[in-house]
Amino acid sequence: MKIFKFFVTQIFLRKAILGIGMILLLCMANYITFTAARSILSTFQGYQETNYINQEGVYIANLDPDSPMDMGFISESGTQAVYDYLNSNFDYAFYTDGFIVSIPNPDGMEISLGYMNEGYYNLKQFELSQGTDLDFNYQFDREIPVLIGKGLSKTYPVGSTIKMEESVLGRPITLKVQGVLKQNAYRSNYYALNSKTYYNFSILVPVNEEFLNHAAIDLTLNGLMDVAILGTTKEETADLGKVINDNLGLEFNFLSQQDNYDYFKEYYLHALKMICIITFVLLIVITCLSIWNAFVSVRSMLKDFTINLLVGLSDSKLKQIFYGYFGILSFLNLTAVFIITAFNRYGCWLRKDATFATYGLFGLIGMDWLAFLLVAASDILMGVIVVESMLWKIKKIPISLGVLQ
Amino acid sequence: MTRIIDLRVKEKIYKSKKTRLSILNDFSLQVAAGEKIAIVGESGAGKSSLLNIIGLIDRNYHGEYALLGSLTNDLHASKLAQWRNQKIGFVLQESALINSLTIEDNIKLPFLYAEKKTFQPEDFESVISAIGLKPILKKKPLECSGGEKARAVFARGIIMKPQIILADEPTASLDMENRERIVSLLFKMNKEFNTTVITVTHDLEIANRHDRVIQLERSK
Repeated sequence: MKIFKFFVTQIFLRKAILGIGMILLLCMANYITFTAARSILSTFQGYQETNYINQEGVYIANLDPDSPMDMGFISESGTQAVYDYLNSNFDYAFYTDGFIVSIPNPDGMEISLGYMNEGYYNLKQFELSQGTDLDFNYQFDREIPVLIGKGLSKTYPVGSTIKMEESVLGRPITLKVQGVLKQNAYRSNYYALNSKTYYNFSILVPVNEEFLNHAAIDLTLNGLMDVAILGTTKEETADLGKVINDNLGLEFNFLSQQDNYDYFKEYYLHALKMICIITFVLLIVITCLSIWNAFVSVRSMLKDFTINLLVGLSDSKLKQIFYGYFGILSFLNLTAVFIITAFNRYGCWLRKDATFATYGLFGLIGMDWLAFLLVAASDILMGVIVVESMLWKIKKIPISLGVLQ
Repeated sequence: MTRIIDLRVKEKIYKSKKTRLSILNDFSLQVAAGEKIAIVGESGAGKSSLLNIIGLIDRNYHGEYALLGSLTNDLHASKLAQWRNQKIGFVLQESALINSLTIEDNIKLPFLYAEKKTFQPEDFESVISAIGLKPILKKKPLECSGGEKARAVFARGIIMKPQIILADEPTASLDMENRERIVSLLFKMNKEFNTTVITVTHDLEIANRHDRVIQLERSK
């Protein structure tokens, strides 16, 4: 240890510019690898998570980008007519969220309300850490059973009630906590699979026909945008599209989740592939630059290495010192990436951003740690290449008395 | 007298992309304990290569080398490093100091690699006093004169009380006074501690003050 300390303090750090060069190169390599790895992992998670909706006969509504949007034409009666048609002819999964309410909680978060019907609830299969499944046949004017995120579970344990003024019904309502969602439960976007909404500070409200009949138009209209029609055919959804068009003046497409995946493949997967290729190329370039930096270091420190070898340093010890030094640089960089990531995660808490606040050690979640593991693996690979190149260079010169003349 | 070095080199080859140079062909050297040997010869004859082999730095040659009665060819690299630390002292040109360290730390460098706690302050003090380095111990090499640096390199070479001193052109860039001082110190070590001294030099006057002079010739 004292030999390693001597080398770091008296030799390596005396050529600070070379150490800084290596730190910067490693930092670039680590950050690029981390970002790419996390994007890929998040996309993979999105694929896995949205599989619940990727079923034969399930079509998801999607507002055509070229659809006219005349808000004056959209009325409550028109929306009601669409829902009447839906209720008479289809089973459907209704889900919409992003309705913000203020209820007391220790973290001071703005709480996001999500609304879903039984069709969606059965498809999505929420995992609970406490409580029991939702009952959709509740008495509308009494307590409404809800699921809440982990962040609210201490303040509102299972069985407790939450009273609030709710904009969708436009009157005070009482919610009863039926269950608590698992920590970091999330929902992925059907189209951008690496985009997620976390439920840690959400309340999921079950909606039934009666609820929808009394709900404001912003809920019913928003719900239509992502409604999934179950056990149907393309032709039947075309009829529904016509009904929507007649009543609301909007053009809707109905796509299966496989169509959404195909859309993702066409527009996002290409970008993801490019990220992978660019990351790989950049890693090769950075590794080459690191080797060059290491060779310059060897050149500039060769006299010091030689003197140490003459007075008792062994080749194997020198190898250990190089690996140890690279390990420290790598650790410092990993720590830097870790701090940046933790700060980003923690930033969601500071901004009271309920849909992105996550739980975990320093706010980091599974895919962050997995991405760190990949960064550590790439650092090990890079370390082996750089250190072995240095040792090869030293043997090639080689160390001898001639170096000191 | 005890034979301390028994070296038989068939050849030492230096290869580059286009050339292949063979030196020290069928060279043998036997050295007794306490002997003073000078190695002379023109540049490229293999003087430094020979010191690299004797000093256990280079094992990439054809031949056999017994040091202090043990065959070194099969010894583990860490054992060789240990022997370089304890049994061999290198006295090199005055530039062979680490510039970021003080003269004191340069001299104490071998202690860093010593297995046991071999550093004895009184031994260090006596060496420093004998060589006259006390006033410059806290200085960095770049703040010292050539003679001071040469003496510091010498002090580092003998601080572990080695059985063999390998001196590679130790006086090459020194003035007459400092040159004489270093040679005297070398011979003093030889006389007082029976240390074997092998000196590579271009200076025939210094060479002739050794017990034996070995002339190396360049390969044809």
